[in-house]
Amino acid sequence: MANINKGGRHVGIVGVGQTHHSRRRTDVSQAGLVREAVDRALADARMTMDDIDTVVIATGPVLFAAVNQPEKWVADAIGAQLKPVVRVTSGGGAGFAGGLAGYYQVAGGFADRTLVVAYDKLSEGALQYSISTLYDPFWGREFAVGIMGFSAAYWRARMEPLGHTEEAAAMVAVKNLKNAMANPYAHVKREVTVEDVLASKPLCWPIKLMDVPPISDGAAAVVLCSEHVAHRYSDRPAWIRGISYCCEADNAAERSLLLSEPLAIAAKNVYRAAGITNPRRQFDVAEVQEPYTCFELNYYESLGLCPPGGAAELIASGATQVTGDIPVNPSGGCLGANPIGAAGLIRLIEGATQVMGRSENTQIKDAKLALVQSGGGWANLRGCAVLGA
Amino acid sequence: MGLSRVAVVASAQTELRPSWSGAQHIDLISAVVTSVFKGTGLTLDDVDFVIDSGSDVLDGRSISNCGFLGALGAHHKEEARVEEDGLFSALYGVNKIRSGASNVGLIVAYSKPSESRVDAYWSAMVEPFYQRPVGFSQAAALGIQAQRYLASSGRSQKDLADVVARRWAAAAEHGDVAIDDLPNSEAVLASADVATPLKQLMMARPLDGAVAVLIAREDIARRATHAPVFVTGMGTSMDRHAFASREGGKLASAEAAASMAYKKAGWGGGEADVAEVSGASVVGEALAIDALGLCEGKTAINLSGGALPADTIMATGLIRLAQASRQLSMPAVYGIPAPSRAVVHGAGGIAMQSNCVFTLEV
Repeated sequence: MANINKGGRHVGIVGVGQTHHSRRRTDVSQAGLVREAVDRALADARMTMDDIDTVVIATGPVLFAAVNQPEKWVADAIGAQLKPVVRVTSGGGAGFAGGLAGYYQVAGGFADRTLVVAYDKLSEGALQYSISTLYDPFWGREFAVGIMGFSAAYWRARMEPLGHTEEAAAMVAVKNLKNAMANPYAHVKREVTVEDVLASKPLCWPIKLMDVPPISDGAAAVVLCSEHVAHRYSDRPAWIRGISYCCEADNAAERSLLLSEPLAIAAKNVYRAAGITNPRRQFDVAEVQEPYTCFELNYYESLGLCPPGGAAELIASGATQVTGDIPVNPSGGCLGANPIGAAGLIRLIEGATQVMGRSENTQIKDAKLALVQSGGGWANLRGCAVLGA
Repeated sequence: MGLSRVAVVASAQTELRPSWSGAQHIDLISAVVTSVFKGTGLTLDDVDFVIDSGSDVLDGRSISNCGFLGALGAHHKEEARVEEDGLFSALYGVNKIRSGASNVGLIVAYSKPSESRVDAYWSAMVEPFYQRPVGFSQAAALGIQAQRYLASSGRSQKDLADVVARRWAAAAEHGDVAIDDLPNSEAVLASADVATPLKQLMMARPLDGAVAVLIAREDIARRATHAPVFVTGMGTSMDRHAFASREGGKLASAEAAASMAYKKAGWGGGEADVAEVSGASVVGEALAIDALGLCEGKTAINLSGGALPADTIMATGLIRLAQASRQLSMPAVYGIPAPSRAVVHGAGGIAMQSNCVFTLEV
């Protein structure tokens, strides 16, 4: 389910680009924002739009920025006219889902060179209002508002059984914000302490202000190539050795609040495809999409970086620091910048540049294998990928 | 070993109605998802992935697919939302199987425009700074497109009305479309002015409905049905958003999509036995027929009635795929002799900015 096994084609990332993310970009429209990331990715791949066979555009929910099917507008700004263009969306995981759609266009032989661009311009809409419409209009909206309430409930459920304490989550904030200091594209740059996080304003307990990522305007783009042509555009492509994105149906009474089932399923698919049997030892680096610090702890366990209940110990041990044996989010993750629809593709970019040996953040020495995670919805859409040089 | 061949195994469609007032989205979706497996020997357990087309804007709900995952049969499977005409979802699914990564896929598309303001769906799609404030919309674009077409094609408004009447009659016969009064040409011409020269009945009629199409790798498809319908070519293209910048009098993106699909299939529109073509208006449909290189009479076009009597918006192109597959696998139902090749067309965007074309063979 995850990767090529019967005659499909290998797919590599040959070019990447992202904007300098910020709270509010008043100097560009959505179309201009997309153009910036695309120009950078094409230049990185030594390409022009003429070289591109197909384009995949990904955004968060269109209600975020009040343009329906915005790919039809922004396509003009990147010179994509008369090319195959399609948009996929998957809430917070849209960027990753876009990468997956592009992956299959190349793996399935529909294209040799596919441009994937993902973005959100969150300053242009009412974010939490838009997210609130995610819930069922008949029985869900009466009590569920925004995304923070149920995330807090999830975290709360994990506190005692799994030891996902406020202190452990605060360590995630400290680590990621520190890492973001070295990321030229991050827009939050400040060092904080565990005490600062614990003392920050409660928003929806146990979630506090410093557990929460910023709201950003930003775009990211990658160029994917088939194995037949990749060498023309990159000396060292990042090969996608496995990629999968799974879901969990809503209001399932049996839904586990402890382990993320869709992420565990996706990880199983991807690890099988890529030959991963001991993720903690085999991966050199991981990039995860943590829309609240508590989720990073959950991913450690769902991805098998530690056993269930081991996340607090893992973060406390320093293993996931850039100096540790399994650095997680050397880019700073979502705490450094969070243009939601782009966040999943940014994780792919950060994982790819690590294995290509040219990260613009802290380069993990000799990184050869990267784990990338992304997700969206009400924590029910979850995926991951393995990238190797 | 090369890329896998992919076939349509089965399809299921709800009746297409002006309003399914007694059913929610999940009811329409689960109706087609449960019935699509009939007679195939396959079950939901055999499905590797679900790809769906629906619109957050029409549904009034962010990430609306999230709320429908259970009805879609997607629980614990890979799922993707393509927020575009359903034929684009099918394209994604075919690529997924061709890559060898998956064996069986379920493609679902639905819309319930009766619960929404369709004019707002279109106007929200228009570029927000220069075009939206002056009221440029789907109707205006289609009207301008139709004026140019009438000026250059030599066809009259009456000719267009005749086409509309034929489509509605076909829909009543084969389309599974709710029709109270079958309009004749005079009724079409007497319907309200919408965007000169287009009358109300010359516009695609928004309807509620859902469709599911089951696709599979060749060997599985051959075991699941006596008449697998193979996807032999696919192409898509998106024209400029700025309407004034598009080449007038034609659908350049439909031409490009068709050319891409035909190149892979090794044959062209002139060799198709049947075709199912979308159209935002009767003129949009005529432009698409020209762009696909189809000739009415030589190719049986829109035996289902097409999009004019029944436009389920996000599902229209996938319904075309379902209908064309049925025409190839069960030609006797449609009273046509042994067809072997079909062309399928889906479109989206203002004045059909984006187009997708499939070639099918048995």
